[in-house]
Amino acid sequence: MTAQEVRLCGLLLQEHFGEVVERIGTHLLRGGAQNLRTIANETNTPLDLVKKSLCVLVQHGVCDFGSGRRGPGSPVEYRGNCERVLRILRYPRYIYTAKTLYGDTGELIVEEVLQRGHMTMSNTVKTVADRLTHNMEEGRSMEYSEVVSSFSKLVETHFLQRCPPVAETATAAPSATPATHRTPASVTPPTAESNPDCYKLPPVTLTGRGKRRRSSDDGEEPGGVKKAKMDSESCGDEGIYWQVNFERFHQHFRDQAIISAVASKLDQTSSEIVRTMLRMSEVTTTPTAAYTQPLSANEIFRSLPPNYSISRPILDQGGSLTGRSDLHRALANLARATLESVVQERFGSRSARIFRLLLRKRHLEQKQVEDFAMIPAKEAKDMLYTLLSENLVQLQEIPKTPDHAPSRTFYLYTVNQLPTARLLLQHCYKTVANLIERRLFETKENKRLLEKSQRIEAILASLQASGAEPEQLTEVEEMITAPERQQLEALRHHINKLDSTENQVDETIFLLESYIISTKSK
Amino acid sequence: SVMADVKVKQESPDPVQIENRIKELCQQFPHGITDQVIQNDMPHLEAQQRAMAINRLLSLGQLDLLRNSSGLLYRMKDAQTASKMKGSDNQEKLVYQVIEDAGNKGIWSRDIRYKSNLPLTEINKILKNLESKKLIKAVKSVAASKKKVYMLYNLQPDRSVTGGAWYSDQDFESEFVEVLNQQCFKFLQSKAEVARDSKQSPMVQRNSSFATSHEVWKYICELGISKVDLSMEDIETILNTLIYDGKVEMTIIAAKEGTVGSVDGQMKLYRGVNPIIQPTGLVKAPCGLCPVFDDCHEGGEISPSNCVYMAEWLDF
Repeated sequence: MTAQEVRLCGLLLQEHFGEVVERIGTHLLRGGAQNLRTIANETNTPLDLVKKSLCVLVQHGVCDFGSGRRGPGSPVEYRGNCERVLRILRYPRYIYTAKTLYGDTGELIVEEVLQRGHMTMSNTVKTVADRLTHNMEEGRSMEYSEVVSSFSKLVETHFLQRCPPVAETATAAPSATPATHRTPASVTPPTAESNPDCYKLPPVTLTGRGKRRRSSDDGEEPGGVKKAKMDSESCGDEGIYWQVNFERFHQHFRDQAIISAVASKLDQTSSEIVRTMLRMSEVTTTPTAAYTQPLSANEIFRSLPPNYSISRPILDQGGSLTGRSDLHRALANLARATLESVVQERFGSRSARIFRLLLRKRHLEQKQVEDFAMIPAKEAKDMLYTLLSENLVQLQEIPKTPDHAPSRTFYLYTVNQLPTARLLLQHCYKTVANLIERRLFETKENKRLLEKSQRIEAILASLQASGAEPEQLTEVEEMITAPERQQLEALRHHINKLDSTENQVDETIFLLESYIISTKSK
Repeated sequence: SVMADVKVKQESPDPVQIENRIKELCQQFPHGITDQVIQNDMPHLEAQQRAMAINRLLSLGQLDLLRNSSGLLYRMKDAQTASKMKGSDNQEKLVYQVIEDAGNKGIWSRDIRYKSNLPLTEINKILKNLESKKLIKAVKSVAASKKKVYMLYNLQPDRSVTGGAWYSDQDFESEFVEVLNQQCFKFLQSKAEVARDSKQSPMVQRNSSFATSHEVWKYICELGISKVDLSMEDIETILNTLIYDGKVEMTIIAAKEGTVGSVDGQMKLYRGVNPIIQPTGLVKAPCGLCPVFDDCHEGGEISPSNCVYMAEWLDF
């Protein structure tokens, strides 16, 4: 785990869970598996706060625990999961995707589950129904059954899954069989998929409607007693917790990237065919498989969207689109295009030409680069040296004679895609961390103004609710001066821009990570 | 009888006559003749007689001895050269031979030294002498501006020395190359557009958006933008740069021998392509393009909080 990754994780933990959790989390990420006491001592944090922090981290799947390395009887050890923390950056994309697939209901379900880490279905349904009701017209409310329907779809398509079973810890081991050698609990925690009921809905029926919360409400309602009873009412699915299945979303993002690449490279029809192929293999392929299941042309033809009238012979013509799609190759191409894009934007089209040339030809001498790229010697040399100093291009020495004399040595320029992708990925992590730091800085700089603005908003809201005169409202509004208003507007613009750019850099992170992971598992 | 006399004369030929006949044959076949050719022409000659004649011509400096893959070749030495070289000593002849062997690619003085094993000072003297006699000339090589290669005086230097179509007086014609690059791309783009607008089946569209290198070459020639004659191969090197620009893709197909534009039974097809991704997310942030990225960290002289690039970018 690199320093940049830890820095970014720290920022994400702080924003989402606060300072204390960030301190504990970062400590775990840096120091590896540790037990409770060690954490408390080394971070100078009182034990109960450490426990609470660990609870939060475990709840969100950022931290897992297992029996200590010293075998049964030794204190439980906790381990942070850097990759999982980095996923926090992608939450907006998960939520937005749920919205495009399953509407506002889907969006809120995924948002709630992400916010809480894991939730029961009944709890999710109630919360989402309430939220949706709140945004509806007076007198209307959201039926639980509608929310359940969206929830089911998310589970059917594997976007939501049951939380993995809790690992047995050595401390819970009874000494019933002292004779047998007890092996410590496995180092890797069980996956969600290891549970055969992973995508099975709990056998409960939820009836009811969302409740609208009044502004004067502090938890009580006419019939408040009834509400309290509803909350503590057991719905029958206690203990069955649900979490977002990140890998499934990632599969969806990968498919999207591949489809749009095909559309750019070939045409719309071909990309529709690829989309259909990928959708058909959605649930039959495990998310990390290198190949999708082979599909016959017939199956594909029957599954194309009905308004897509292409004749059978054309489908057969698409030689390069036979049933199997080599996912790794597609990801490698996307990663390569990403690297080329960075070189192009940062160093210009001629350097990009040299870069692409080296990717294709693997090893070239200086002269060959000049000739193929048709760039004059002096400029080609400058560009190569710049790329070399940025570690985007490497130089290999191949001696012709045993004495390694420079005049009798080949100096070959080369680009290695995998290490370059890793380098750029680190740049991405650093960039996102920079953007977050800037955002925090801008907010801090304008803290006083922001607080003032919030106070005024609150005053206005309460005045409006109690039916104040328009003049009263204007008087309050004018407590913010025009230049202050401008400043606030600029700040809002800055924050939004920083926020959306963080998401855009995360798209690059996703492509590079997918490529690197797919290389490892080849 | 007279006939018999003649016959007798032919049966014991005069060595000088043999030598002259060999020289005639050499003039007839300026690329050189083999021993077999001489034998075919004068079948009654014995091998010994042939050998003697050849050796005499060689030692007189009137014939050149060459070796090719099938054996020995005898070639007429250029009379003018022969006379010029008359006063030359063996060292000069050797250097001349080495330079002649280098053909129209020429040879660097250092390489002449390796091949002849003569000291550099001696070689430089000889080169000066040969140059003044207009037997050889020095040509500046485009490979290294300070390097000069030597070749025979009358030879047309090879393209690799002069730089060919892309060089004008040792200067690389960047602008010219750039213009050709743009024109070729425009041609391919419009071909792809026509294919798209034809609204035929996707596969037909795709196939008709390809152009052969021959087609592109013809188009460029007809444009008349080039002062020099460009070959199809020249155009292919330009098309390759478009491939490295990520703007064009190439396919090779088999072609019947004799098809216009085919080379060795193959044809190269080119097509304009779109990039498969939009500029990637990382470059949308100023950090993605920042020249001092590595020096930046919170609390340092350059940090996200005080970054001027960020400030500019945010206000945009």
